Amino acid sequence: MHTNTREPDHPDRIRSYFKAEIPVLIVVTVSGLIYNVGMLAGPYFEGRLAQCLYDIIRGKAVLRDMGVLAAAYVAVIFLVQLMRAVKRFGVRRFANNVSRSMRRCLYNSLVHASQKELAEEGLGQLLTKAIADVDSCVEGMRKFTTEIFDTGVVMVAYIGMLVYYDWRLAILSCIFSPAAYFAADRLKKNVTAANAAYKKSAASLSGQTMDRIGNALTYRVYGREENRNEKYEEALADYEKKSAAANLFEGSMTPLYDAIAMFGAVMVIYFGARNVNGTGWTPWNIAAFTTFLACFTKLAVKASHAAKLFNAVQKASVSWHRIQPLMKDPVKDTPDAADAPVEKASLAFRHVSCGYDGADYLRDLNFTVRPGEIVGVTGEIASGKSLLGKVLIGEAPYKGMILVGGKDFRTLTEEEKRSLITWMGHDPELLNLSIAENVSLGSPVDTGFFLKMTAMDADLEAMQRTEHGKAGEAGTMLSGGQQERVALARTLAHARSVLILDDPFAAVDKTTETKILQSIREYCGDRTILILSHRLWHFPEFNHVLYLHDGTGTFLPHEKMLEQEPGYRTLFREQMKGGDYDEKS
Amino acid sequence: MRNHELLRKSLRKVISKNKGLIAGLTLIIAASVFSSLIPPLVLERAVNLLTDYRDVSWGLALLYFLFIVIADILESAQNASITIFGQKVTHGIRSALCEKLGRLPADYFHSHESGKIESIFTNDGDAIDVLYSDGVVSMIADLFKVIGILAVIFTRSPGLGLLVTAVTPLLFLFTRVCQKRANKAQLANRRAIARVNGHVPETLRCIRMIHVLHAEKYMEDTYDGYIRESYDAVEKSNLIDSIYSPVILLTQACVTAVMMVLAAKGDAWRSFFGISVGTAVAMMAYVNKIFAPLENIGMEIQNIQSAAAAIGHINEFLSEPEWNPADSCPEQDACVSFQHVTFGYEKEHPVLNDLSFSVERGEMVTFAGRTGAGKTTIFRLLTGLYEPDSGSVNLAGRCPCSLRPEEKRKVYGYVEQSFAPVPGTVRDQITIYDTGISEEQIRKAVRLAGLEKIIDGLPSGLDTPMDPQQFSRGQLQLLSIARAVVTDPAILLLDEVTASLDAETEARVIRALKNSSEGRTVLTISHRLSAALGSTRIIEISEQGKNTSSEI
Repeated sequence: MHTNTREPDHPDRIRSYFKAEIPVLIVVTVSGLIYNVGMLAGPYFEGRLAQCLYDIIRGKAVLRDMGVLAAAYVAVIFLVQLMRAVKRFGVRRFANNVSRSMRRCLYNSLVHASQKELAEEGLGQLLTKAIADVDSCVEGMRKFTTEIFDTGVVMVAYIGMLVYYDWRLAILSCIFSPAAYFAADRLKKNVTAANAAYKKSAASLSGQTMDRIGNALTYRVYGREENRNEKYEEALADYEKKSAAANLFEGSMTPLYDAIAMFGAVMVIYFGARNVNGTGWTPWNIAAFTTFLACFTKLAVKASHAAKLFNAVQKASVSWHRIQPLMKDPVKDTPDAADAPVEKASLAFRHVSCGYDGADYLRDLNFTVRPGEIVGVTGEIASGKSLLGKVLIGEAPYKGMILVGGKDFRTLTEEEKRSLITWMGHDPELLNLSIAENVSLGSPVDTGFFLKMTAMDADLEAMQRTEHGKAGEAGTMLSGGQQERVALARTLAHARSVLILDDPFAAVDKTTETKILQSIREYCGDRTILILSHRLWHFPEFNHVLYLHDGTGTFLPHEKMLEQEPGYRTLFREQMKGGDYDEKS
Repeated sequence: MRNHELLRKSLRKVISKNKGLIAGLTLIIAASVFSSLIPPLVLERAVNLLTDYRDVSWGLALLYFLFIVIADILESAQNASITIFGQKVTHGIRSALCEKLGRLPADYFHSHESGKIESIFTNDGDAIDVLYSDGVVSMIADLFKVIGILAVIFTRSPGLGLLVTAVTPLLFLFTRVCQKRANKAQLANRRAIARVNGHVPETLRCIRMIHVLHAEKYMEDTYDGYIRESYDAVEKSNLIDSIYSPVILLTQACVTAVMMVLAAKGDAWRSFFGISVGTAVAMMAYVNKIFAPLENIGMEIQNIQSAAAAIGHINEFLSEPEWNPADSCPEQDACVSFQHVTFGYEKEHPVLNDLSFSVERGEMVTFAGRTGAGKTTIFRLLTGLYEPDSGSVNLAGRCPCSLRPEEKRKVYGYVEQSFAPVPGTVRDQITIYDTGISEEQIRKAVRLAGLEKIIDGLPSGLDTPMDPQQFSRGQLQLLSIARAVVTDPAILLLDEVTASLDAETEARVIRALKNSSEGRTVLTISHRLSAALGSTRIIEISEQGKNTSSEI
């Protein structure tokens, strides 16, 4: 059913969304005009029908005339209603398309924003809110498009008809409609205030809901569920009050405007009757009288709805102004970069200093890792192991020179960095998709192979599940260790030249760790691998060890490190002793 | 239809609480229906005067307006009271949902996404509001309107009355067909919307991975796929929506046409249709009026239909089996003990198999074993979140499930794997809103956790509003420790507390744990902690969930 929607030229201009949807809007315009002008047909024919009946009673017309008139009436109404269906469907299609391109545009910004922009500068929250705003913005645009025809066009048509029948009476009767607008305007402030209070209460309730459910087990373990339920009840009571007030203002206004505008009906009946009896401004028959009255009634109703149009547009513009600054031209990906063949690249640090805030946590690091080598990085707690990884994904500043494949890291583009370096952090960052999809991320990789590499195949079999089973939200359908290994499988499946694994075996037992390391060696024989870990069992097998201590690092083979660095020796000995129990399993 | 007994129960509660409102609502609806019937009758009189070549007086014209105003005001009041009623019902249901949360087994939270549960509270709750305000109650009002108009039509024009009565069932048949299709599309849409909404927070959570592994395009495509799914469903229901009203209005035109033609056929027919010209005008007004509420009823039924999914979700949620643990178990001397405990999240796949061990007061014990051997499960049993399938679990001489909520924190303190921030101030993080905890106790916990400097550094100390972004992971873990020890529990349960710590505070976390462990029985499942905390006994959990207890 969908053709690919055209993207707007300028995502930050509301007009370009209308422009991108021109074909749909043409359909809406044509059908909307026919429908709304055709709306006159109802009152017109109803007047004629009454007149015809009057004529028949007086012997001035025959049954045939009535038959023709009635048939024409039904035929015209059919056409008008058909146009209405086309228009309604068209407007909704338009709204869906706009909503989709807005969401896509915002999501594109979100997914391409850096971690820093998202977390520190609050862009993540802003974008999340903006995406929620899309709905109300598009709803406003939809109402606006609908009402332009259903209120704007139709009102002009009705007024034209009234003027045609008797312009003096038209003016006299319509004088009261502006009064309805005036009343609407006066009440708008109240409506806005009540709405603001309602929104605030709704936000607070939704926050409470999220907390009550998200932390349900924490509250249970600490025995605080009842207390939370009471708080929730308070939020509910407040929400009920505020939402009733907001709805009251908004919903009850229409009938009241309607009443004000309908005062004109008194004029229509009194002066219209004089017209029919020949004592008024224009000579009328019964048809003219009923048509005029019916037209006027419909106009009055429309006039009261017009206030709704302004409300919708106002609401939409508030949402749009929140969204607009975030609308940027979409970043286009070059998907091939990820699939380009992996080239061998070494990693070298030359007098590198780095840190979280300034580049001063670790100083003067010097080491080189060549393709095919594995280097283990360790150190006391808080010695800065993870920092190395953060530097290489651009989240921590550094001084000195880092060379990747002989090129200065600083001069590499984001794209080049990513095609050279693959990093895996503590957090498994699994998606709510199947296990296989988590590993492949849409690329044609042999997911089974990589899951086997990380010993997940045995787990799946034990759980009687397949790789096509769901991982659950944030991987909750898997245990912590399993999540870690699925994440590792995913990383290996997309591994580039340099592989930095930050604590990849934190929740994995020793036997599994050995198995996984072995397959990494086999499969990633030509990669440059850095393993940041506090578990040293396998460090003797690594080509080199980088031992971080006292704000700097020593780079030596394991045996030499044992000799030279007493700190490393202690760490290693303690682990070998403490690790005994794990050997048994 | 499914049995919606539980939902009905909460509804009855709301009704019995708001009898006054409901009486008022009924009265207003009746008055509103009655007053809306009058203006066409005034019009009839005016037109009949005209056909007799007589003038219409100001009085009659004003009367017409007056009745319109009265009808409008009453309609206004009707809308308002229906809104209030809808809100009351929703409130009642949300309260029931919230209470239910406390009675659900822990397993429910482990096996259901929190986003999905939230959507029962928010989206489905809102659907219930619509169900009552724009569904059931306004449908009753509209039904009364239809009946009232029909009654008037019958007194004036039996022929038209019969005509309308004949058409109505056909229209309802048509309505049913439309609704069934719309409902199906609505359901599909709801599912898709949930996925669309869940995708954004998920992206934020996984943003590093997405960047590093170049998955931006994949994530965008996945998002677009969800949106498309939703729109395909929406378009289906839009199509029905666009067809429904035109069909009704066309029918209205047909009825008017047939009435006029038959009335024109001759005197006999005319008297059957009871038509003078004035009556014809009034009848056309009534036909216009009767189809409006009929159309509304159609829409209201659709609203009710689309709420059916929501009712289903809510009812399903309310009828989830509740957590009814046995509240007694054999007396034990040991501080903590497992006696032949077998447990599995699914009965067929036990995680723990005939596990027995006991821990004496003041002991420090580490559970070790392969990942997935069930170490976390032991803690879940000890905190009373789950009940063993067989055997017994004992904590301080009590069955953990039988601990009353207010006793829990006195018996054990639980340091979770990752800190769960709660809304409120930093103090609230520690007390979890327990006002019974004294300032002295809080200060002591802060000291034990080594948080004094951090808290002193905050703009308003303990009363600073909590912002997890301002704390490092390690500092959050320290808060978690303060939270666990603030009630001075005899037993301390430590999950993989330091598993995901990489920052400078890890050492401080361990120091804090050492301080906090003094004089308590400590159980941990962290490999690293066991070494750091000093001499501990190790209980090995083998692959089959049995223990091969050993001491180091």
